[in-house]
Amino acid sequence: MSQAIIDAREWQNTFDLETGQPQTSESPAADMAARVLSRHPYPGDVDEQANQWVTRTALDLIEQYDPDLVCLSYVQQFFADRHFTYARKERERLFASAMEEAERFIEKSGFTPVIVGTGDMIPLKGEMDLSGLDGLAVSSNWSARYCGIHAPSRHDMAFLDSLDTLERIVSRDQWIQMFATAQHDLEIHQDTNLMPDFLLAARQGHAFKTMGTTLRKPVHIPAKNFLVPVFSPLGRVDDLRDIKPLIRSYLPDHKIALILVEGVGERFFPASRFMCQNGVDWFCNEPGDAFYLTVSTGKHQPFAYPAGYRFFDKDADAIKFPFSGYMDTIPEHTLAQDFPGKSIAVGNRSMFMHMVFGVDISIECFARNLFNQGCMAVVHREDK
Amino acid sequence: MKCHFCERRCDLADGRSFCGNFAEENGKIKECWPDQWCTYSPSRIESVPFYHAYPGSRSMIIGTAGCNFRCRYCSNGFIACKDPAQLQDVMYTIAPEKLVAMAKKMGCHNIVFNVNEPAVSLPSLQRVKKYAEKQDIPMGCLTNGYTTPEATQMMAEIFSFVHIGLKGFSDAFYKEFVGIPHIAPILRNIETFSRTCHVEIASPVIEDVNDHELFDIARFIHDIRQDIPWHVFRLLPEHNMKQSVYPNIDRMNQALETSRSLLPYIYFHNFVGSRWVNTLCPGCGEVVIKRFSLGCSGDRLDAFLAPDNTCTCCGTAISMLGTRVGWNDKQTTVWESEI
Repeated sequence: MSQAIIDAREWQNTFDLETGQPQTSESPAADMAARVLSRHPYPGDVDEQANQWVTRTALDLIEQYDPDLVCLSYVQQFFADRHFTYARKERERLFASAMEEAERFIEKSGFTPVIVGTGDMIPLKGEMDLSGLDGLAVSSNWSARYCGIHAPSRHDMAFLDSLDTLERIVSRDQWIQMFATAQHDLEIHQDTNLMPDFLLAARQGHAFKTMGTTLRKPVHIPAKNFLVPVFSPLGRVDDLRDIKPLIRSYLPDHKIALILVEGVGERFFPASRFMCQNGVDWFCNEPGDAFYLTVSTGKHQPFAYPAGYRFFDKDADAIKFPFSGYMDTIPEHTLAQDFPGKSIAVGNRSMFMHMVFGVDISIECFARNLFNQGCMAVVHREDK
Repeated sequence: MKCHFCERRCDLADGRSFCGNFAEENGKIKECWPDQWCTYSPSRIESVPFYHAYPGSRSMIIGTAGCNFRCRYCSNGFIACKDPAQLQDVMYTIAPEKLVAMAKKMGCHNIVFNVNEPAVSLPSLQRVKKYAEKQDIPMGCLTNGYTTPEATQMMAEIFSFVHIGLKGFSDAFYKEFVGIPHIAPILRNIETFSRTCHVEIASPVIEDVNDHELFDIARFIHDIRQDIPWHVFRLLPEHNMKQSVYPNIDRMNQALETSRSLLPYIYFHNFVGSRWVNTLCPGCGEVVIKRFSLGCSGDRLDAFLAPDNTCTCCGTAISMLGTRVGWNDKQTTVWESEI
């Protein structure tokens, strides 16, 4: 049974991660995680200190737990660049300092790095307002490129066909089939009836305005990052899915840190970087659950939490894992799930880190739509 | 010509109203941005938060832009405290009948206005009401209560459930933190709404600023009707108060202790994992409604243990508008294109 320790500043509580019910804990690991939490209040998603918080918290947790595998995310620059306008030089500094923070962690911890960038951000050129369709258009707060269409009329399809800013319209079956061909053991855990009838992909620089998208207009959005930068002295890989086997093969002899740096493209990476395939054919992963799960599981994961899904039609009375956002099961085949050594995760991707890597202990910020609620530690295992 | 929607009573000869939504045209008040919405999304009614209205139901959340207040801690300052003229590129243009059709498409039981102040968009909301009523979809809102008697009457006709912010209990607080001179119109309007609508009240608590006013607020609510639910929100420092200290939860909860003898339905939340979101039976103290809180706009129903709105242990009636609603009762993927 996994425990969640919530720290809402000067006030901590322990819960069963799956049911959300309060618990009393006598677990030494939970006590240790709670002490680490209380030493590191989260500054906020767009605060300059947010990435330093990741490094400080991770180093503290390493000192307490002595893990062999560390998974980190640095996301402040992504949140800031997405929502706010900066002068060119300041923008460059934001991304460069995120990389410097990852490098500072490596220097201080001595771990062998595998650093993965999710790719460049580019200015928003325009948005497609699909609120007027006869059918229902569904996108999400953090997606720019994809949108799902449910029960469109003939008139809707004609309208969509006429949009120059739309790159393609793909039926649900075509979408699934493309990934089933690329990934023979493709997993679809969600109810396919709640997937959209059609998936829309925007042209580069364009985004959707629909039910579910953010109230805050984005300033920058992810580019079509079919290739993303990776840096590691462990060796070269060609596809995001190869990162898991690479790390697992070296773990018996190395302490390894997998570090995801969001919104960061090739030019901010060290010269010895290499580029890695992200996605299949016309589908590239945006920063988010599918990207993280692809890296962590070594499999394509576009249907773990599909774009355009009618999440609101799931049964609200049977919700599990209430602290875990969309996720209602612990993902299988994750990087650390069956790793016999000790593992941790720390990051400022909220409600997320504790699920995607399968680590023993994780600490992440607890922020929703940039509102800073505090931090959360999750203890999945303490038997190592 | 004076605007008659809120107690600022702006002189429209000087240009648009303070909220930016009204102007004078041919001797009449014109709504500058009719049928412009900043969002339409399904959410749990508990997340608004309404705790004593249609528990478990699915609400379509809507909002516009602009506000007649300038709360220093506003969570939606990026849309409420901006000039609506500058936000038109982020808005959706949706005719009232289409908006109601959207609620049906998304399987929503009701429509709730909660991003900014509804008084700044009352003409549009009146039109939505016309179509919502035909479809038997009730409407609710969050309001700061600073409306004129005429506008309050309009709101009472549009909304059957109203959540009113009573942010402090002194002119001094409202002057310093909200930017209006007097609290009196808000107190007057709470009494007015309580005669015709389901009412819940929310008060943000800021440590060492308005925590000493909590008991006065509780007494005021008690004197109107003691079964009005009162939500005390721990301040989430946002907007112009981003650098402020988060109020201490234990101390603020302690500060509420004396008020609990006056009001049976007091909730203390707006932070993840709050233990004070359940409804206890006023008769015997048993938990009759269990909820779960993820903090701001993240509350949900966990268990409704009061069939027919009655405590199963002692038979006491639990104050409620409607009763338990199944989240997926109105789920559909087949819809008419227009109403």
